[in-house]
Amino acid sequence: MQTTKQKETSFLSVKNLSVEYTSDDEVIHAVNHVSFDLQKGKTFGLVGETGAGKTTIAKAILRILPQPPARIKSGEIFFEGEELLGLTEEKMRKIRGNRISMIFQDPMTALNPIMRVGTQIAEAVRLHENCSRVQSVEKAIEMLEMVGIPGERQREFPHQFSGGMKQRVVIAMALACNPHLLLADEPTTALDVTIQAQVLDMINELKRKNNTSMIMITHDLGVVAQACDDVAVVYAGEIVELGTKEQIFTAPSHPYTLGLFGSLPDIHSDSQRLYPIEGLPPDPSNLPQGCSFHPRCPYATRACGDRQAALADLGDRHLCRCINLEQIQKGGKKP
Amino acid sequence: MTLLEVKNLKKYFETPKGTLHAVDDVSFTIEKGKTLGVVGESGCGKSTLGRTIIHLLESSSGQIIFDGEDITHVNKKKLHQINENMQIVFQDPYASLNPRQTVEETVAEPLLISGRFRKKSDLEDETGRLMDLVGIDRRLRLAYPHELDGGRRQRVGIARALSLNPQFIVCDEPVSALDVSIQAQVLNLLQDLQAKQDLTYMFVTHDLSVVRHISHDICVMYLGQIVESSPSKELFTAPLHPYTKALLSAIPSTDIYAPHKRIPLKGEITSPINPKPGCRFALRCPHACEKCSTPQTVEELLPNHFVACCRGKELNQL
Repeated sequence: MQTTKQKETSFLSVKNLSVEYTSDDEVIHAVNHVSFDLQKGKTFGLVGETGAGKTTIAKAILRILPQPPARIKSGEIFFEGEELLGLTEEKMRKIRGNRISMIFQDPMTALNPIMRVGTQIAEAVRLHENCSRVQSVEKAIEMLEMVGIPGERQREFPHQFSGGMKQRVVIAMALACNPHLLLADEPTTALDVTIQAQVLDMINELKRKNNTSMIMITHDLGVVAQACDDVAVVYAGEIVELGTKEQIFTAPSHPYTLGLFGSLPDIHSDSQRLYPIEGLPPDPSNLPQGCSFHPRCPYATRACGDRQAALADLGDRHLCRCINLEQIQKGGKKP
Repeated sequence: MTLLEVKNLKKYFETPKGTLHAVDDVSFTIEKGKTLGVVGESGCGKSTLGRTIIHLLESSSGQIIFDGEDITHVNKKKLHQINENMQIVFQDPYASLNPRQTVEETVAEPLLISGRFRKKSDLEDETGRLMDLVGIDRRLRLAYPHELDGGRRQRVGIARALSLNPQFIVCDEPVSALDVSIQAQVLNLLQDLQAKQDLTYMFVTHDLSVVRHISHDICVMYLGQIVESSPSKELFTAPLHPYTKALLSAIPSTDIYAPHKRIPLKGEITSPINPKPGCRFALRCPHACEKCSTPQTVEELLPNHFVACCRGKELNQL
């Protein structure tokens, strides 16, 4: 589905990525044949439930998966023309925290509790930029002020900050070296809504200023609606639907995406009943035959258990992986 | 009929830095068979409120009237009786179940303690019935919590809370640890149970869309105080308190074509230790004025719509 031309123009291109985890005698297929492209300055959302493999995708890009138990089975990741999976560890280190950096989900555990926050930010700067200790601390203060924390607080320790402020420190650290690509793993999940709104605004503002590209991992469709340009819906390690935000929100097509929207209580309506997806996400060590969503799918037919659908283009690069698409769109069997 | 009435309830904690006003002068009533949603950000005292009502914490002052009876101060024997009528479902299904008890043991424990079932076979029938009621397969009777997923664990927690046929259940963020698809299943279950057994819920949560979905009435809490309370629909369509307005505007909407205007709030929630008199939201409020530093009274600005804001009338042109 991608031509060589697109590969060259893409800023980040993940192709056919598969990651598995091995434990004793089980193999867990965490990520299966994931491909997507990200353009410069855009935000790409990865949406899915716990255990869908979203974080594994991000960690594979940054190559920080613990190996073993993880193993990148196949795939290529092109970033600014370079193939990341083939790089030496030494070269990768130069990229990590510099051209690509990551905001981790839980700000409470992402910071070193016995290091002053200023020192933690300065450390990243000193590693990647040729500068003195004093200069690096100055840069750290500048970063803190950019995220709205008074510079003099750089001498404080993480426990002296509230949750929202810790997340700002983590963001300041991630942005300290002006990364070209930012991987944000549930950056606002641990925060209250009013603080979430502040942090999202800030990330969007900084992104605009520096033309940073971003991968936003989240399970919150509201966050996607506000922050992303393109969206991929991930289920059991596979992309089941991919498209622009407009395509996914106005014309969700995959039964799983439809189910996600049906599960959300709508704040603007008085609907009395939710339409949850029946059943549970599959055990990733024992994925069902055929389409991995078919045991929970209200539209499933017998063919669904036999073969896995390919990602089909519904027009304008809106991709969806379902063999019963036509029936569903015709308004076939309803849940 | 009013099932629960809370009057001027206070719960203070002494800390080395001073007195922490976790719940400060909270009053409300819940009608039988209805759901009261309590929303607020972390640290606003909503969980403490729930726990104080069912006597997991002793109140500092105020009155709790349940089913026409003052239960604020009770002896141990009476407490036992109250507990059979008021139960709680906890937030974290991973932490609130005993990891060394099977599903059956967990659900049966309240029944054993109450001494309602003398015969073992009766007890087994009853636990089986409860498991059916909340939708856990009977074959999982002997499973331990670590063998269950989050949604099922929360169902076990609900079965345990329901085992003594209580009238009133405090649901303390029962779905916030669950994925959206599972969250919807549990919310539907809670609604079905309410319809079937005429249960009364106090639903504590930080998730505004969940609270709108499940509640009949809503209280918004800020730093230990209720700043606004009204019927659910009205609160969402016509909020009156500046905090409620900002809170509602902060929810990321899934409607991509109608980006609503956000009311940005400066700063973060302040400390509830030794709070100054006056409006606690004033420091972050875009409409704060001098009057705000005096104690605020709760006014009924519209029928059944209570607001604690001295500028409420003027700002909403009522």
